[in-house]
Formats: sequence, structure tokens, C-alpha cells
Amino acid sequence: MSLVSPDLTERSHTALADATLQTALKRATDTFIERRREAVAGVPDWEALRARARQIKEHTINHLDYYLEQLVEQVTALGGHVHWARTGEDVSRYIIELARARGVTSVVKSKSMATEEIELNHALEAAGIRPVETDLGEYIIQLAHEKPSHIIVPAIHKTREQIADLFAEKLKVGRAREVEEITAIARARLRHEFLSAGMGITGANFAVAETGTIVLVENEGNIRLSTQVPPIHVAVVGIEKVIPRFADLSVFLRLLPRSGTGQKQTAYVSFLNGPRQQTEIAHDSNSPNEFEFHLVLMDNGRTRILADEQLRESLYCIRCGACLNVCPVYQKIGGQAYGWIYPGPIGAVISPQLQGLKQAGELPFASSLCGACRDACPVAINLPDMLLALRAKAKETEGAHAGRRKLGESMAMRVYAATAQRPKLFVAVGAMVRRISRLLAKGGKITSAHVSPLDEWTRYRDLPVPTGRSFRAWWQEHKGDE
Amino acid sequence: MSETLRTSDQGQVLADIRRALGRSETVRPMPLEPFIEAPVVTTSAELVARFTEEITAVVGHAHRARSSAEVATHIARICADASVRELALSGASMLAELNLPAQLAAQHLSAVVVADFDSRSRDELIAFLAGCGVGVTAVDYAIAETGTLVLTSDEEQSLLVSLLPAIHIAVVHQHQISSSLATVIEKLNHERMLRAAPCRTATFITGPSRTSDVELTLSIGVHGPKALHVIMLGEDSNDARLESTTPTSA
Repeated sequence: MSLVSPDLTERSHTALADATLQTALKRATDTFIERRREAVAGVPDWEALRARARQIKEHTINHLDYYLEQLVEQVTALGGHVHWARTGEDVSRYIIELARARGVTSVVKSKSMATEEIELNHALEAAGIRPVETDLGEYIIQLAHEKPSHIIVPAIHKTREQIADLFAEKLKVGRAREVEEITAIARARLRHEFLSAGMGITGANFAVAETGTIVLVENEGNIRLSTQVPPIHVAVVGIEKVIPRFADLSVFLRLLPRSGTGQKQTAYVSFLNGPRQQTEIAHDSNSPNEFEFHLVLMDNGRTRILADEQLRESLYCIRCGACLNVCPVYQKIGGQAYGWIYPGPIGAVISPQLQGLKQAGELPFASSLCGACRDACPVAINLPDMLLALRAKAKETEGAHAGRRKLGESMAMRVYAATAQRPKLFVAVGAMVRRISRLLAKGGKITSAHVSPLDEWTRYRDLPVPTGRSFRAWWQEHKGDE
Repeated sequence: MSETLRTSDQGQVLADIRRALGRSETVRPMPLEPFIEAPVVTTSAELVARFTEEITAVVGHAHRARSSAEVATHIARICADASVRELALSGASMLAELNLPAQLAAQHLSAVVVADFDSRSRDELIAFLAGCGVGVTAVDYAIAETGTLVLTSDEEQSLLVSLLPAIHIAVVHQHQISSSLATVIEKLNHERMLRAAPCRTATFITGPSRTSDVELTLSIGVHGPKALHVIMLGEDSNDARLESTTPTSA
């Protein structure tokens, strides 16, 4: 039977039937593709930058132990605390213990795929600590109790009217009409949260081994507020985020914004070296160390990916989202249908690894292998090859449980092979197929075939009718032309 | 730190990494060859023009000034337009050298230099800045190709002054403008990071705070400043007039 579970099929059908979602997805992916194209066109040496970024990532991942040790040494020397966590539960446990030890009851969070991946918010809530998502899109998602639909714009599946209703219901405010009003409501609410939170939790886009610098890229200013206002900053960072040198940032900071949002530079980039220092102004307080910085280095399945040479390069990912936008499957079903935090082509590769192949092994089949993802990737990750490898692996796991479709498929292939080996028969069958398909067609297309397996194709798309003449006949006529 | 927080898996994770990479101990790698890019050659006038163009493209406002009096005039005009009477000044030596507090007082504005902030609590400083209409800072570097300002914590409190008030005004000396990101990354690295006491925070600022999270519609001023004004100070300007360039896509 199909390797795609009924759940994924059902979620995809739901997404396809949702007209609002379809409009939103088309707008988002079209816009991002166009903005990215313009931004990339402005960089004459784009391919050289991509190649360099890939080279840096490859080098770093192949010496991950060395660079992580260097990073830890630098962060520690700056006065930061480093915690290594094998699993998501380890990360959550550390943060909860830290919050309890410091008497922190509310934390402000900036958008972080790493903390989404481990569902940190659930753990914090269960421990009686209130997490507040501060990225506007994440704030909307949190209020709606939903999952993000895009890694760059998490609430892209919602219309302004839906968000206005959500705010009116949850925040007890008047119904906003314009996007500016929605933004203003969130600004006022979240300002208060930033000023009263005891801890700010972020991810990281890059962690520089040479200097111990955590780099965060954003547009809203919520990361600046989360890291500059509360006394404690915790950065939850996947072990693959380390880069060797500060100078490498000049490559990545040109690639990331252009690939993600099509900006030359995002509104803000923060470079953080350990805890902030005590200023004279703060000297009245009795505590000698008002500011703390905690770096939580998270494995959570990444060493499993590292061990697989075929999949290792998925660790080069800088989470820009470009592969989502260009993926014909993502464009139609959106991020939530995938069922995992990381959607799109990169999600189809890393989710089965981070979650264990059994749980998300169907995702590699939710792709067309067209290769657009590889071309869009700023670090040129060979996603189609990895998707193929994962499909093969899933088939192996599936083993002898061959279902009916598999039998039908192999019969059809056998008939085709027999025909293709007999030239006269091949010509005759070809002519017959052309004639029949023209009889079934309306306006040059077959819109609904009622014969299996053709109906599988025409259920979602039209089947173009072959031309009246075979290539073989055309060739007989033209081969003497030169 | 309490003992319970020290249950770090450093050894285990590193062992898992080495096993995945097929080795038993960490090997020091040969660093990659440096990435050499062709240097960009531009004149000072070209840098100013490009910087201005990029700032306005990200909905920032660019102004030119030839003297401290002109800087103060620009600030006064921005404050008047926003009906702001009290503003925060970072403690940057450049702003002091321009004698801005006195210049602004002459314009009937009350300028609080946060380095001299007489309240002792950080919470009070933050509350003051959050309620402040305008914050004025200097910058450490500027990048022409993206219209980016670079501020570091070497100038105490400038990061908060550029973040919490509703309007951020940055005063930039023309000679602080570099052509490219690569140049500024190199300067930041050598002048601020790779030194005995590295600077704690650096921030790139490119335009005012923005979001496109709702229907991909651009909305300005979500968490950070709602407006960004950059006053470029340079003595070599040919034109005597006070110039202001408004955003191209406001």
C-alpha cells in the first residue's frame, strides 16, 4: 500500500479544499520567490557566495567536535554558562530548573525552530512558567493554539480578518480593520511582557566558534528586546549552528536575508558575546551578577544525521525557507499538512531523522523530486538525492509488505517491457493509444479518465493528448533533412 | 550556579559526534583558505549617495548636515513633527563634542543624557526610555550597500536608546560609512571582537522595526522604533542647503 499515511493524505486533502489557505499560500510563495529572485540578481557573485557557504558548512560539520569545543571555551571565557543537552527533554529540564532557581515566572520568547522542535512551551507551561511568543506571527499562532505553517512567516495561513477576530476574542480588544491596527495591538501587549519578563529565550542563526558570538537575524525588534531587557538570556542552539570564524558572517549574512525574505539585510542583526556587563547605572542592586547568558547546545537527533554520510549535508541548512517556497508540494499543501515542525523539502529530510524514520518516514514521498529546492538552497544542499535515498530506505523498511498496487504496478511494467522489445507491436499499440486518447479528449485534454490507473492522474490534473503523429513517423520523414 | 543545573552532557554529545564522524578523538582542522573578494572602490560622495538611497529604500529618513547646529535643527524638526518635547541622548562622545544637549536646549527641547541618568535603577531607565518619544545615538560604523547602522555596547546604553523610544535618530559622520558588509564585518572583528575585552553586544540596524507576518503586508514599528532618521554629518558637502530625503516607499 501507499507509504503515505491516511493522516498525511487527509491533511493534504483538507489543505487543498481550504480556499483561504490556497490564496494565502499562493500569495506567500509567489511573493517570496519574486523577492528572492530580485535580491539574488543584485549580487553578481551569488554562485561564488553559495559555493563558499557550502564549503564553510561542510568543513565545520566535518570538524563539529573541534568547533563546538572552541565555541564553548569562548562563551565560558566571556562569562556565559554552557549546557549540553542530548534530547529536547534535557533542554526543557535545564531551562525550567534555571527559571525556578531565579524565581522567573514569565519568559519572552523569540521565534526559534529549535524550541518549536522540542515543544519547549508545553514543558514550560506544565511547570507553571508562562512563555510568551513575541514574534508577531508566533504570537498569533500561540493565541490560536496552532502550529506554524511557514518557518519565516508562521501565521501566513491566516487572513487579517481571522487575526482581528482572534485578537478580539483572546485579548478583549476592539476588532481591528487594518494590518497596522493589528500590529499596534501586539506592540502594546508585548511591550508590557518584555518589560516584566524575567528571562528571554531565543534560538540562534549562527554561533561563532572563534569569538563565542551568538548571531540573531530578525525584522521586528523582538529579539533585541528579548535579549537586551530581561536580566537572563537563554539561547537554545542546535549543535550544527556553529561556524568557525567571525569573518564567515560576511558570507552568511548576505545569503540568509536574500534567500529568506528577499531583503538585502533584515532590520536587525544582533551579535551577542556572553552576558551583558554591569553598568554603573545598575550599581544599586545587591546582586553582583545582574545579567546572565546561558547557551544550551542541543543534539536531539542531530548526531544521528551526522552519522549518515548520505544525509549529513542536511545539517548545512541555515533555515531560510527558500526550499519551501519553490516546492510544488509545499505550494499546494502548506506547512501544517506535513504534520511536523519542519515542513517542505528540508523538513521531509530532517523530520524523519530528528523524529525517527518510523514516525515521519512518509514525508520524503511528499515531494516531486523536481530539484527546485536544490537550486534555491543558499548552501546548495542536494535535497532531491536525499529524498530519493530516504524513499529507498523507507521501501526497505517496508520490506515484503507489498500491497495490491505494487502487484498491479509490476504487471504493467512487465507488459510495457514486452511491448517495447517488439518494434512492430510497439508502433501498433502506440497508434491505438493515440486514437483512443483523442476519442476521450475534450479540447486537447483528458479531464477525467474512468480507467485505473489513469484516473489517479486525472483526479487532480488534465492529461494532455499526444500529437497525431508519433516521433518515429516524424523521424522517418525528417532524418534526411540535414 | 546550583549543582542541579550542572548535569551537562558535554562528554556524551562530543563522543556521539566523534563516533558519527568515525574518529576517537578531536582533530584540529586546517583552517579554510581565506575568501578573497574584489575590493569595492568608491568615492566618499558615492558612498553617501548609496547609503542615502538604501536608507530610504527601507523606509528610513536620511538627512544631511554640515554643522552641529544643523544636526540640532534636524532633531528639533523631527521632534516638532512628532510633538515630542523630551528626548533621550546616548552618552556617545560624538554627541557631547557636537554640544548637542546645549544646542537642543536652545531649541526648547529637554534632552536627557542617559549616561548621566540620575536614577539608580535599571528598571527606571528602561521605563523612562520606553516612554520616551525620541532617542538619539551616534553609531560605530555604517554600511552603504545596505543602508545599515552598526552600534556596539562600547558606547554604554546606546543599544537601549536606539531600541526603546518610538523614534530613533542616529548621527553618522560621513567618514564612518564603509562600502560593504565584508569591510564592516572585518572591522568589527578586529576592532571589537578579537581584543582582550571584547565588546558585549553589536547590533546592525537597517530601517525601522518591521513585520510582514499578517498577509505579507509590510507594517512598520512592530516592537522596535516606528521611525528611523539618519543624520549624516560632513563638512565637505558642496551644497549649502539643509537636505532631507524621505522614504521612497512609505
